[in-house]
Amino acid sequence: MTTSDRTQSVPASSEAGTALPPAVGYGRYALRQIGYRLGQLIILLLGITALLFFLLRLTGDPALVLVGDLASDEAIERVREFYGLDKPLIVQYLLFLGQAAQLNFGTSLQSFRPALDVVLEHLPATLLLAAAAVTINIVVALVVGTWLGYRPDRPERRAGLLAVIVSQGIPGFVVGLILIQLFAVTWGLLPSIGIDGPKSLILPALTLASFLLPRVIRLTATNVDQAMRQDYVRTARASGARPRSVLGRHALPNAVIGTVALIGVQFGFLLSGSLITETLFAWPGIGLLLIEAVRALDYPIVQASVFVIALLVFVVNTATDLLFPLLDPRLRSQRA
Amino acid sequence: MTVSEQEVKRAGLTRQAIGRLYRGVPGLLIAGFIGLIITIVLTIWGVDLSGFDPGAQSLADRLLPPLTDGHLLGTDQLGRDVFSRVSVGFRWSVPVGLLATAIAATIGSLAGVAAAWKTGWVRSVLTRMMDVAISFPYLVLAVTIIAVVGHSFWALVLTLGLVSWVSFARVIYAETLRLREREYLVAARLLGNSALRIATTYVARGLRHTIAVMYAFIFADLLVAEAGLSFLGLGAPLGAPSWGNMLAASREHLFTAPWLMYAPAAAVILVVLTANLIGDGLIQHWGRGTTQH
Repeated sequence: MTTSDRTQSVPASSEAGTALPPAVGYGRYALRQIGYRLGQLIILLLGITALLFFLLRLTGDPALVLVGDLASDEAIERVREFYGLDKPLIVQYLLFLGQAAQLNFGTSLQSFRPALDVVLEHLPATLLLAAAAVTINIVVALVVGTWLGYRPDRPERRAGLLAVIVSQGIPGFVVGLILIQLFAVTWGLLPSIGIDGPKSLILPALTLASFLLPRVIRLTATNVDQAMRQDYVRTARASGARPRSVLGRHALPNAVIGTVALIGVQFGFLLSGSLITETLFAWPGIGLLLIEAVRALDYPIVQASVFVIALLVFVVNTATDLLFPLLDPRLRSQRA
Repeated sequence: MTVSEQEVKRAGLTRQAIGRLYRGVPGLLIAGFIGLIITIVLTIWGVDLSGFDPGAQSLADRLLPPLTDGHLLGTDQLGRDVFSRVSVGFRWSVPVGLLATAIAATIGSLAGVAAAWKTGWVRSVLTRMMDVAISFPYLVLAVTIIAVVGHSFWALVLTLGLVSWVSFARVIYAETLRLREREYLVAARLLGNSALRIATTYVARGLRHTIAVMYAFIFADLLVAEAGLSFLGLGAPLGAPSWGNMLAASREHLFTAPWLMYAPAAAVILVVLTANLIGDGLIQHWGRGTTQH
């Protein structure tokens, strides 16, 4: 959930990897971690598909949605039969699971095309937006966070930190609305709807970035501050290295690891933000697709979207797990 | 070193670091309480202060800019007073947030303490559940649940509580693990107190600061989530005075009447900021005393 970052910097209870003696190589750690995350993915998918499958079918009769209110009883019956909606729910679910295992989520109730195809068509837009937001986060957090954390006691940096704390109280979609109001409506500088050239990426990317930015800046500031107090930094300074070179060579690389880790762990939260951002800017990604599918009760699309989103989170989280011991050898020995 | 020890150490370290970073940032808590007073005043007397009925429409007074004809924040597309409408919003959004957080706190605390106290399969199942749930985008889950349970006050409260208990549970879990090793709890166990008694007296007492801080943070998050869901048209019912609904409606008038967007946005920011300031202020206030031992 949203606040998870306040206590969590690295995935926590992963029991895989815990029993590793330092001598055990990276390969085995990686395999265990992938296995653990895969197990998570399967549990998640089973849980969520079951929840969605039964809940979505409670909302209304999909057959009625398909044929409209004015259709004859006979037409409704035929549609029910065609889509297997006349079978008991549990049978429908098992049939669904069998098909989902073969990546067949059925056809969209709106466009009558394979649901997974429709979702995958929307994937590049979401990936583009997420990549832009992550890039903005890393760059801004490193610049501002380092500045704030390097000498946190200076008055202007205290004021800066306060500004970051205050900005944490501004919800992402409010940021988006304000950006639209200023840059698109009042000044007419940037487009605010759809994908149309690189300029149209700017406002959505800034909006999505704002969902994570304050907390990423805060963590970077904390990490830089902490790193500057480590023994190795003191040693470097005692042996005559200038403060700035100590920062660049020793403190910063360690702080970067934490920044990237937080973004990796919070990727799921970023996707939550993309639901709102994509709707706000009519950005044709999975988020917008999912919201519209929920409104239209187009459940094959809902299920396929949720599947792809879960997969995306799995890939990013696993990559984060695998990356960090490579970047930070201390993590490997700590796991002993 | 086991993972739990690591997590405990990390939680302590982070808190110390945050405390250090805050040393000298004056009066977070005071600022939070000022915000709290403004919030309470607007919740109770906001409508009276505005001097207008929040539901009263007047087509002659559509889209009046702020400070005209006694409308402090102007009027909306139906001629309703914006200040009065935003004030009613407090009575919708704040209770939704508080009640949803209460659900999250209850489930999360029970799960967190259980996971920390009971080793073996209880911990294994609970921590795995937490790991699974934490990585999945909560809004995706909320959107789909809401679509089913419908648009109402209690549906929102329930959905938001159910998607956010994990954040609570994780923190309570880490804190309880830390507490477990404290001398007084070891002593309490050795003296033969029952697990239930230890949990309800000593552990509950040890966790009260953590729970208070988390309550403030999660409340802020859920208030934003509620506004976001309503903004998407998947939260509050259409007529409800949710700030999210007002923000959604303001999109069509961004050019002619930007105050329709800025007024509810300011209200959301006020409440979220207040809650965050109180949370951070409490950490600052209790931080040094409770974490360094």
